[in-house]
Amino acid sequence: MNARRIGAAVVATGLAVGLAACGGGGSSTGSGSGSGSGGTIKIGIKFDQPGLGLKEGDKYTGLDVDVATYVAKKLGYAADKIQFVQSPSAQRETLISTGQVKLVVATYSITDARKEKVSFAGPYFIAGQDLLVRADDTAITGKDSLKGKKLCSVTGSTSAQKVKKDIPDVNLQEFGTYSECVAALVSKGVDALTTDNTILAGYASQAQYKGKLKVVGAPFSTENYGIGLKKGDTALCQKVTGAITAMISDGSWQKAVDTNLGPAGFKPGPGNPPTPAACS
Amino acid sequence: MGDPLVLMKDVNKHFGDLHVLQDINLGVDKGEVVIVIGPSGSGKSTLCRTINRLETFESGTITIDGRPLPEEGKALAELRADVGMVFQSFNLFAHKTILENVTLGPVKVRKMSKADADKHAIALLERVGVAHQADKYPAQLSGGQQQRVAIARSLAMNPKVMLFDEPTSALDPEMINEVLDVMVELAKEGMTMVVVTHEMGFARKAANRVVFMADGQIREQSTPEDFFTHPTSDRAKDFLGKILTH
Amino acid sequence: MGDILAKYNLFAAFWMTIKLSALGAVGALLLGTLLAVMRVSPVTTLRAIGTSYVNVVRNTPLTLLMVFSILGATFTLGLSFSDQATTNAFIWACIIIAVYHAAFVCEALRSGFNTVPQGQAEAARSIGLTFAQSLSQVILPQAFRGAVAPLGSTLIALIKNSTVAAAIGVADAAGLMKTISENETGTLGVFGLFAIGFVILTLPLGLWFTSLSRRLAVKR
Repeated sequence: MNARRIGAAVVATGLAVGLAACGGGGSSTGSGSGSGSGGTIKIGIKFDQPGLGLKEGDKYTGLDVDVATYVAKKLGYAADKIQFVQSPSAQRETLISTGQVKLVVATYSITDARKEKVSFAGPYFIAGQDLLVRADDTAITGKDSLKGKKLCSVTGSTSAQKVKKDIPDVNLQEFGTYSECVAALVSKGVDALTTDNTILAGYASQAQYKGKLKVVGAPFSTENYGIGLKKGDTALCQKVTGAITAMISDGSWQKAVDTNLGPAGFKPGPGNPPTPAACS
Repeated sequence: MGDPLVLMKDVNKHFGDLHVLQDINLGVDKGEVVIVIGPSGSGKSTLCRTINRLETFESGTITIDGRPLPEEGKALAELRADVGMVFQSFNLFAHKTILENVTLGPVKVRKMSKADADKHAIALLERVGVAHQADKYPAQLSGGQQQRVAIARSLAMNPKVMLFDEPTSALDPEMINEVLDVMVELAKEGMTMVVVTHEMGFARKAANRVVFMADGQIREQSTPEDFFTHPTSDRAKDFLGKILTH
Repeated sequence: MGDILAKYNLFAAFWMTIKLSALGAVGALLLGTLLAVMRVSPVTTLRAIGTSYVNVVRNTPLTLLMVFSILGATFTLGLSFSDQATTNAFIWACIIIAVYHAAFVCEALRSGFNTVPQGQAEAARSIGLTFAQSLSQVILPQAFRGAVAPLGSTLIALIKNSTVAAAIGVADAAGLMKTISENETGTLGVFGLFAIGFVILTLPLGLWFTSLSRRLAVKR
């Protein structure tokens, strides 16, 4: 199918039909949203993920923020009508199913387990688990060169579970957040930080780490980032999918990736830009 | 006989602005029973508590059996073991049985074996008439019984001198005599005693000397007979007038 | 819920929580007792040290102390117990839990000290017990009995606070909960399961401490 045409169709009908559906979705956006001008949309993002979803003062930056803003625009909400809601990993499904947010754009990997609770539009980005090391480190070139090295990740995260499974005697230090792992990496407490390459690129791109850290660039998993929405809301899913397709085709996607993840030399891995799956 | 067993020389103490002990000079000979009497706030309890340094003092010296009171520490603890103390509110160790109350000092301080200490303690408890309560806890005993246990606890250390700080003031009237009887017995056996009390009967029966205190000073001292019949100072006359009107 | 029980080793995770709590509690009791003794000691310097410790530690977030043990103590100061990150994290977690809760044990015990009348110490000194003997034979036993209830509350808080150890990667109940909610999506059911686990750990303790405080109460 021609994604562009579907996208255009979605946008065309979106203003009239979609927003009415939105108003009827039982979300807390208020009944006035049917007009498309008065209402706001609540979108869940990460607040603490540089390059993806970061809140600094009242400013939001990152790839997820840009995607969310683009999609919202296509749904008929100007940037100032978006209300960002912090969505820690463990709360994402609850935020969606209770209607506290309309969409979740928060490094949200599409998995079968999650599909039982929510529906996904996308993927809008294909990430992969990779390693972040100090810029002068040439010894670590990928997952197989980690022997005798100290690795860092976040307690309970998919990435942490994967290295524990793949590398049986891995020396893994876990923390509650990635920022602590980055601090440990800089202070040479650990040798590498592992998680999605997007997250790693986001940290490497931060001004204070510029030139100090690098992403190894040998992903060893595939994470399909999707936009989470209420389970079974196919109409909304199709509109969001259309918006993603449009974003990719009009160059906004590439621009967002370059601005947010590019500064440290990060290039999206194979499969990017992705083709969003059909809504079911 | 040489020096007095307890000797206080020019002892001074303040509680803030209050000069509670003013140039106290007092000697207690071995075997002597001294009663300290006086109106409330006269400093008599403080004097008693100063002798084993439960209260500190600012100037002057106190010697017990020729040894000056050391600073707080191991040496003072050793000296206190030789000075028995009986309190107005008994102060039995609330979490220990009667028997344990009496054996704690001998075992921990005198390093006596548990068996010897138990035997000695039972004998003492028999002497004060509460041996049948040995396994009970202090709160299960009457005030009079508790005070007799407290006396046994002090005696268990074989003290050179015993201090009694108003030992019957917290007791119901019907229990006063059972405690005083034990004290009279002790006095008869030759125990050196300093007793802060208002019990005239005890003073007449057992005391060698009465020391009258008022406003932090020793105002007069004499034999019980003389003191109760011919007090010399006006303060003593006034005081006796108040307590003997009944 | 059944498949979660089958797929994940909840028992191992809660066993880790129990080990962490038990070791932390023993450490907290010893250190807290020492601090309480310092706070009631006649030596001004010791009192000041005890007071400062309680005020500083009690007002520092536990998570901060926990993360500091790895980022600060292990990585920057080189105070490492093991080259294996998980072993080192476990030992540090026990220490931090002990150090943090010692402040609360100290305060609980201090309330216990306040239940012991002044006369008990005077009587102890009068029979010739040294300061240490008075403390260990007369004052502390009564203070502990008077502090059973607040000590129980402290222990229950400690067990729940031990979940903070997940912040440095200790594979306890909280760590497993993060793993499960990452894989299986976060649902009330998963949270409920772990909440029940903690209730099973703490509720009997609470009841036991209540009856203990009644039985051990010193009658005056």
